[in-house]
Amino acid sequence: MYDKIKELGADVLAVSTDTKFVHEAFVKQEPLMRNVKFLLGSDPTGKMCKAYDMYMEEAGLARRGMYLIDPEGIVVSMEASEPPVGKSTAELLRKLEAWKYVTEHEGEACPANWEPGKKTLKPGPRLVSKVGEFVNEKELLEITYKDFRLG
Amino acid sequence: MLVGKKAPEFEIEAYDPVKDDFTTVKLSDYKGKFLVLLFYPADFTFV
Repeated sequence: MYDKIKELGADVLAVSTDTKFVHEAFVKQEPLMRNVKFLLGSDPTGKMCKAYDMYMEEAGLARRGMYLIDPEGIVVSMEASEPPVGKSTAELLRKLEAWKYVTEHEGEACPANWEPGKKTLKPGPRLVSKVGEFVNEKELLEITYKDFRLG
Repeated sequence: MLVGKKAPEFEIEAYDPVKDDFTTVKLSDYKGKFLVLLFYPADFTFV
């Protein structure tokens, strides 16, 4: 997963309200953390979580969520949820690939369920009420995550 | 809502699993590349 993110020229930072010592113990004790290669950030006071509106006041813990920040430091996408449902790595990779594409191709946009290889759109007067002539319904609704399957 | 805005600056301590060492990390360390900034409630919680 992380290798794929690095290939896309991106990096990962995972932040919780645990201390750095707990992060170290987590990586060393939990077999599923064995291959983690990105930094685990520590925000025990919740200051950073609050700045990002990712703090659950009553629990005193970080919220489960994600921000995608572009190379200029602008937030381009975010998600947040209650704790018991995890994120989708495939969807994260798809979003990252799409954001990288539109950043490198000014004036183009990736429509719903876009994946690498699918058509992009160039929003403009020619496109108004005619999106269907450029992308068919099947392509718009179908999503395979074929480039983002891991493991 | 932060979407479309400059990401808030931060400087926090971190654990680096590759170097097996502690470090400090800040937003500007990632300038020039996309950053996937993940938040999660707590270590050892299995989701």
